[in-house]
Formats: sequence, structure tokens, C-alpha cells
Amino acid sequence: MTRLLLNSGAALALLAAVAGLLAPGDEAAQDEHAAPASPAAGPHARAPHAVPLTITQPDQLLAWVKDIERRAADEPDRFSQQDEVWVDARGEFTWDEENEVYWQAVPADLLTRGRQDFVQFCASCHGLQGDGYGRSAQGLRPPPRSFLRSTFKFTKVPGDFLPNDDALVALVQHGLDGTPMLPWAVSKERLREIVQYIKSLSPPEEGWHDGTNVIGNEIYTPDDPWAGREDEAVAEGEKAYHVNQCWSCHPAYVPVAELNSLRGVDAATTYDAKLTYGKLKTDSSYEVQGYAVAIPAPDFTWHTLRYSRDARETFQTIAAGIAGAGMPTWGRTSPEGKGSVPDETIWAIAHYVRHLVDTYHGKTAERAAFMAGVRAEP
Amino acid sequence: MRGGTTIETVRRPRAGLLGALPALLGLLLAPAARAQDVVHRWAPNPPASSYGERFDHLFALITMLIGVSFAIVLVLLVVPVIRDRARPGHKASFDHGSSLHDKRFTAIVSVVVFVVLDAWVLWVTMKDLREGYWNIPRPDVPDVLRVELLAQQWSWNFRTPGSDGQFGTADDIVTLNELTVPQDRPVVINESSKDVIHSLYVPDMRVKRDANPGSINELWFQPVKSGDFQILCAELCGYAHYQMQGKLHVLPQEQYDAWQTEASRIALAAWDENDAEARWAWEFKE
Repeated sequence: MTRLLLNSGAALALLAAVAGLLAPGDEAAQDEHAAPASPAAGPHARAPHAVPLTITQPDQLLAWVKDIERRAADEPDRFSQQDEVWVDARGEFTWDEENEVYWQAVPADLLTRGRQDFVQFCASCHGLQGDGYGRSAQGLRPPPRSFLRSTFKFTKVPGDFLPNDDALVALVQHGLDGTPMLPWAVSKERLREIVQYIKSLSPPEEGWHDGTNVIGNEIYTPDDPWAGREDEAVAEGEKAYHVNQCWSCHPAYVPVAELNSLRGVDAATTYDAKLTYGKLKTDSSYEVQGYAVAIPAPDFTWHTLRYSRDARETFQTIAAGIAGAGMPTWGRTSPEGKGSVPDETIWAIAHYVRHLVDTYHGKTAERAAFMAGVRAEP
Repeated sequence: MRGGTTIETVRRPRAGLLGALPALLGLLLAPAARAQDVVHRWAPNPPASSYGERFDHLFALITMLIGVSFAIVLVLLVVPVIRDRARPGHKASFDHGSSLHDKRFTAIVSVVVFVVLDAWVLWVTMKDLREGYWNIPRPDVPDVLRVELLAQQWSWNFRTPGSDGQFGTADDIVTLNELTVPQDRPVVINESSKDVIHSLYVPDMRVKRDANPGSINELWFQPVKSGDFQILCAELCGYAHYQMQGKLHVLPQEQYDAWQTEASRIALAAWDENDAEARWAWEFKE
């Protein structure tokens, strides 16, 4: 008798839970996604839709351009080529003649798994709706990424392109140093599902739902031409850093006289006091709840770099640029292309940046002495 | 080594338990030959805060008392097992302890132990903790370093006031997972949490306290050594709890002053007056 009561009680509770999950409506959504109090909440602060934990809508279409060849190479039994078009035996990928893209139909159950993991791992900061306003996001600077737009900063894919799946998975596994974005120790398979879910949140016109948006490859990364000559690279990098425009957003790390001579301008040229110290781009904006948040260009001797643990990563960050921030793409997007700055110079600057970090970051006394020398009045 | 020689003496099959005891003892004692290694490997780092020594003394005292109690209980358990075991001419006795006499005896012992003894020990202990251990007076100096800590899944947000000493102003130094403090000055931390319960734990400072959402807890320590120390979360707070780590930098006073000036300067330059949400400070609770 007791057991019967218990069983029916559990069944009722389960039913109630399921009903609660499936129930649509804004009330539940608003409770769930209560916004942190903000005096400046803009009209688009809340996304209007709420996604239940179980996704039941028909397959979501996502566009694919770049990595069909890689997938075909991974699974040769599945993909065959007919008239230069890859045909997927399972029918998940189809060729769209008109837009010249491959479409992927991501099954609802895969998105559901992605959504469930997203809620467990990502939602505390990125929000249950992926809008970047999770419970723990309040006051975080830089703010967590909103997935309702399709801009990602450190994917190593040039800013004009959408990042590919591998780049997004690699980013999540790497983490962003100096932010609460951890290096996530979650299996690659689950990360892929989470990434599919995140992609499904992108806006219709600028994300993966529009087949005309091109998915990019990782920035072309040649071998380090300075290998074995790192000291030379640092010297060359220092020059290039100040001859090129790096110093105009990041701090200059040479005294004013030397900066003028490197730039080849009049020796009497003076700068805003902020310049040698670090002209902070207070206009570099990431929109949070209707107003722009300043994200200063880092001072390499002070701030923790997000995605530059070694010279290679630093090269890739400089070369690919940082989408949505002031940092443009400096490298070449393909081996045939031509970058704004030669690869060799970018590598030298990468070595110089690493040198600054390794020598002065977190070393209070050494850094103070160095910066005092840089700022000394002539 | 000792285990090897004693095992050879275990020849009589029915002396299994007794024979195994020295072997077991040997196994336990073998590492003691390298006691220093063991201590080095298992002991916590030497304390780096003013009250760390007191903490360690209390810890050693309790360990010793528990060790003695453990030995007494062990003897009381093991001796009857050996003495009353089955052997030729002796049948092992077994008793449910359900006779009236046993029940009375148990009841009386329970009352004496749990009500009289335990209550008394608890009362005295709480008194000592309240008046002694928990109440180590904070040095009465005006220039304590005040820090606000907002924990979140899975990071620590530290806020230190700039030279104006006020929280929520433009020169506040806000750092993630890193706290820089001066040596020899008491550090008072107000901690809270954005989401779930976390717990700030700095093992070298011998300090640990929960950060609860919706309330402010205070803790303090006075670092007496400079260097870098680990900050850990000591309350299971979700999937990445294990990654919720930080670093405490203790700098000599003059280095700290230089650091603070520079950090304030950078904070001022990056100050965005429109960004109200980034000013999450609260009124400091002394």
C-alpha cells in the first residue's frame, strides 16, 4: 500500500516536472531569466524567446561551406563525390545549388543534448537564452559573449568570416585567460553538440542560418621564421611594433624620442600623456544592455592576455585580429593571400609581445623600473 | 623490511590474527623511518599569517587527543576479539545484548556519556572557541586593507579601493582570481556570492570562510610572509569547482604601494562612467 502511494506520488511529480518543462509562455521564461538589476537596460536586453530544455521543433538548418571536405575525409564511407558535389549517404548534408553552400540539418535530439549541456556548463554566465546575461555575468568586464550575435573574438578565424566548428570547440577547450572562461575539460563530442546549439542561436541574417555567410578557416600560420634567433626577433619586433600602429592602441614601450625616431617624424613631436602609458580605447565597444562597455587594448606588461600563451598563439591572435574589437586582421587568410603586414614581421611582433609578458608581467619591481624608463621626460 | 621477517615467524595456522598483527604494525611503522619525508609530503605548508601558529597548535592538539582516544577504543575492541576467539577448548561466545540487564547497562552508559559527559565537553569547547579561538583580536590598527570579494561560478572577483579608500569609485582596483595585498598589514575581506555558496580558502593563511549569496561574511588575516599563495574554493559549487582557483600575492609594503598606484592609474584610465553595472561594490561591513 505504502509502496503504491509512493509510486503514484513519484509519477505525479514526474508528470508535473515534464509539464513544467514543456509549458510555453513568457511567465516561466521571465522568472527563469530574471535580469540583474541594471539602470540602463535597453530594449533588446532580453531576448523574447525561451528555449525549453527539450527541443522538439523540426531539424534546424545550419549552413556549411568550408569543412565538408574535412568531414568527407574523416568519414570516407559516408561521403561520395558526384559531379564535384559531395553527397552524404545519411542525408544530413545537402548541396544547395542556388546559394552554392552545403546545408547541415542538425537533428533536434542533438540540439537537445547540446542545450542540456549548455544549461549545465555555460548558462551561469552566458544566460539560459545565450544572451550573455546569466546569473553570474553581472558586472563582469569583459562581459560574457552573447550568442544572439555571431561575433567571436578569439577563434583564430579572420573577423570577416564565421568561425568553423573546430575553431569554436578549440576555443572552449583553451579558455580565455584572465576571464572566467575556463579551459573546459568536457569531451569533444559534447562540445560539438554545445557548439551546434550555440550556432542555432545566431541571428537569421548574420549567423549560420544564412548560407551566404562564409565559414572561415583558421588563419594561415607559417612556421616561425625566427626559430633559434629569438633575440633578433624581439629587437625586430620592438621596431615593427612602434613603426606600425600597435602603439596607437596598446601602450608604447619606448621613450618618446625613440618613438619619434622609429616613426620617422619630427623629433619634437609630443603625445597625449596617456599615449606612452597606454591610450585606452574607451570607444571600443561591446554593447551591454543598451550601452557600450569600454574594453581597453591590453598593456602587455600588466594585463593577462586572453589567447596568447606562446609565440604561436600570439602570432595567430595578431594575424587573425579580434572580431568585434578594434584589432583588425593583420595576417593573410590563405597561403595565396596577402596580409596587411608580412608574416615575418607579425612573428617578430609576437616574439616581442611574449618577451614583454615574460619579462614584466606580474613582476612588480621590474615592471615599475621599465615603465619609469619609458615614461621618463626627455 | 620488518614485515618480511615477521611473516616468516607466522607458521602456526591458527595464530593467523595474532601473527599478522606485528606484520601490520611493521607496515605502518616502516614509513616512520623516513618520518621527515612523510611529514614534508603530507603536512601543510608552514603558516604565513599571524595567527597561523595558533591554528597549527590547535590542530596538533586535537590530532593528539583524537589519536589517544583512537588507541584506547582500538584496544577495547581488539583485546576482546582476540581473548574470546574460538580456539581448542574454548567456544567463542556471542550475545545480542538483549537481556534486561544489558539494556539497563546500555541506557545508563548512554545517559552518562551523551548527556553528562558530551554536553559538558560541548559546553566547555564552545566557550573556549567563542572566547579564545574564534576571537583572536584583530590588531587594532587604522590602516587595515579592506577588500570586497564577490564569488561566482567559477571565479573570484576582488575589489580593493584606490587611494581614496572608498569602494565603488573610479580608482577601485578590480581583479579576477588574483588578490594583491601588503605584508604585515591586516587584510579584512567582505565576501559574498553572485550565485551559489562558495568558500574562500587560503591554506597558507589558515583561513577559510563561506561566501553566501545574499549576505556578507567577514574574515581577516595578517600575512607575515611575502610571496604567492594559493586561493581555493572549499565549497562544492558546481561542475568547474575544481578550477575555481586564484592567487594571493603578498608584497612588501613599499612594493605594494607602487603596485597600488599603478593599478589605480590603469583603473582610472579605463573608467567608464556609463557602466553602472561594473560598480558592484557595497558599503563595507567592518
